[in-house]
Amino acid sequence: MSFWEVFLQQLFNGLLIGAFYGLVAIGYSMVYGVIKLLNFAHGDIYMTGAFTGLIILGFISAGIANAWLAIVISLVLSMVLVGLFGVAIQRVAYRPMLKAPRLSILITALAVSMIIYNSVLLLTQGQARPFRTGLTGESFYVGALRLTETRVVLLVAALVLMFLLHMFITRTMYGKAMRAIALDRDTCQLMGINVYKIIAVTFFVGSSLAAAAGMFAGVYYGTVHFFMGFLIGLKAFTAAVIGGIGIIPGAMLGGLLLGLLESFATQIPGVGTVWKDVFSFIFLILFLIFKPTGILGRVESERM
Amino acid sequence: MLRFKNSWIIFLLLALFTVGLFGCGGDSTAPAGDENGGETPEEFEGEVLIGIMLPVTGAYSENGIDMQNAVFLAVDEINAAGGVLGYKITTTIGDDECDPAKATAAASKLVSEEVVAVVGGYCSGATLPTLKIYGDAGVPMVVAAANATSLVEENPGWTFMINSTGDMQAENAVNWFEMQGVETIGLIDDGSAFATDLKMLTKSQWEAKGKAVLTDDTVTVGEQDFSALVTSIMQAGPDGIYWTAYHAEGALIVRQLREAGYEGVIIVADGTSAPAFIELAGEYAEGVFCTAPPFADLNPAAAEFVTNFKAKFNTDPGAYSGLTYDATYLLADAMERAGSFEGSAIRDALAETDGFQGISGEVMFTERNTLGRSNFVILVVQDGNWAFAE
Repeated sequence: MSFWEVFLQQLFNGLLIGAFYGLVAIGYSMVYGVIKLLNFAHGDIYMTGAFTGLIILGFISAGIANAWLAIVISLVLSMVLVGLFGVAIQRVAYRPMLKAPRLSILITALAVSMIIYNSVLLLTQGQARPFRTGLTGESFYVGALRLTETRVVLLVAALVLMFLLHMFITRTMYGKAMRAIALDRDTCQLMGINVYKIIAVTFFVGSSLAAAAGMFAGVYYGTVHFFMGFLIGLKAFTAAVIGGIGIIPGAMLGGLLLGLLESFATQIPGVGTVWKDVFSFIFLILFLIFKPTGILGRVESERM
Repeated sequence: MLRFKNSWIIFLLLALFTVGLFGCGGDSTAPAGDENGGETPEEFEGEVLIGIMLPVTGAYSENGIDMQNAVFLAVDEINAAGGVLGYKITTTIGDDECDPAKATAAASKLVSEEVVAVVGGYCSGATLPTLKIYGDAGVPMVVAAANATSLVEENPGWTFMINSTGDMQAENAVNWFEMQGVETIGLIDDGSAFATDLKMLTKSQWEAKGKAVLTDDTVTVGEQDFSALVTSIMQAGPDGIYWTAYHAEGALIVRQLREAGYEGVIIVADGTSAPAFIELAGEYAEGVFCTAPPFADLNPAAAEFVTNFKAKFNTDPGAYSGLTYDATYLLADAMERAGSFEGSAIRDALAETDGFQGISGEVMFTERNTLGRSNFVILVVQDGNWAFAE
């Protein structure tokens, strides 16, 4: 492969994984925006989404001939169910803690993460499960770039979801309310915004995007397991911080940037796959030192 | 309002309980072999406790549970034949989850339960920190699967390894690459003790033949996307690839390599020999070779064991069950020869083992307590199953 072929291939690799990071990072960022909570359970929501999608797909794939149609239906159902699951977690675990010191709610998030993680571990007996979709994985070339149908569709789908979310945040009243709450929750309440409802909507949207990413990962990689959410949770958090936590376009940008960084780091002699993660986390540290508010972040007086 | 709040908490607790009960229920049915606590004939003079250290939960529990069942099967047979020195063998589990931290806790638990000996050891990384714990406590251990060089180096003298060591596996892989006409290879591990060790051994053996290792990579456990790695491998273009770690990532890497159009020889190490690898990688697994321990399923000498295992546990024995079964019998044999349950006496008897005939072959230890011969075979995935490669 020539330099440009490798460059293009790695660019595509990076964009795809970056889009997955971005989808998960959005959830981190949205939740941080409205209630200033680093929702550590978010990676586990991603994993729950993958398993929910797998279960639904198992039920419906027998009756639906078209593999993509079955995937889309289970994707939508999984997003709705996991979205509601996110709302339920918020209602049960986080809402009673909203007035408590911030550390308490952070620890609650850790506990929620452990409960989900270990429940799935027990239910699946810790085994990885194959995610069969019926897609063939046929590949084709665009110029020198080798692509599969799955990869292209997933990348487009992820970008479409991000775009839809962006429209939701900027063009709807809910989105406006979310942004307002991020600025000042108490004032919003005084202005007659139902803050709790908006928080619930935030969790719904964030969780369903993570579920979508989980489902995409299942379709793409063909395997789901109980610890799949851990590493991507960490990476998505990194992406959210790089982009500026609490800022939604920042999360998308951070995700894509991190994905590209990782995939190109693999090509750097001496870095390779061995140091790839170290390379990207060094990037995180550099950001925390020189631009702690992230790429799109503005200077704020109070930070966590 | 307060009542409403409380009812939420009660609901949550109930939900947790249900999950807990359901989960535990599912879990306790898995090691169905607890039946060895069944009928105790009158003539037993007492009970002797053996510890089992294996990953019976977690990502590698498939192998762990198979191995645990092999211990149960052997113990039941030994007890049915009158036990050891007139004592009935009972077992206790220390779940290492293939995690060094959990393994340390599991080993301490076993030691505090005063086991006379330990059998098990699947992941080398998890087994490594326990060697000193058993050594300090004077508890001999027979390791059934784990075989990294570091285990040999760190062995305080109380551990006996009945699986061939990493350098023999590396030699096996190198020879097979040569037979396939491979000139250049790429190596991938996951940073775990065993996989890194095997990778380095393979690298030095391959380079000693004057041939080139084009790529040398380490992936992160838990990662799913290896596309960047695959692209860099495709760019370097080695004729053969050796994956030295376990099946969870192995299945993903093989799939992504083949999807990207890689057509060279792929060999995976024994950690990937679990049937789950084929299930996860699907059709992409076809034609993948494996440097594997003597699979009981494919071993004619183990036919009776396989039949009994299937009858009792309703699954195939898997890669390491045969060795684990042998390890249990070897331990019982050593106790008989030692004539006591004293740790040092059992250790000495183990060290003197000469020509113990197990279903996976003969056992005899070197002065470093490793198996004195290579027991590795080459398997290949054919029509969705492992078969001997020719």
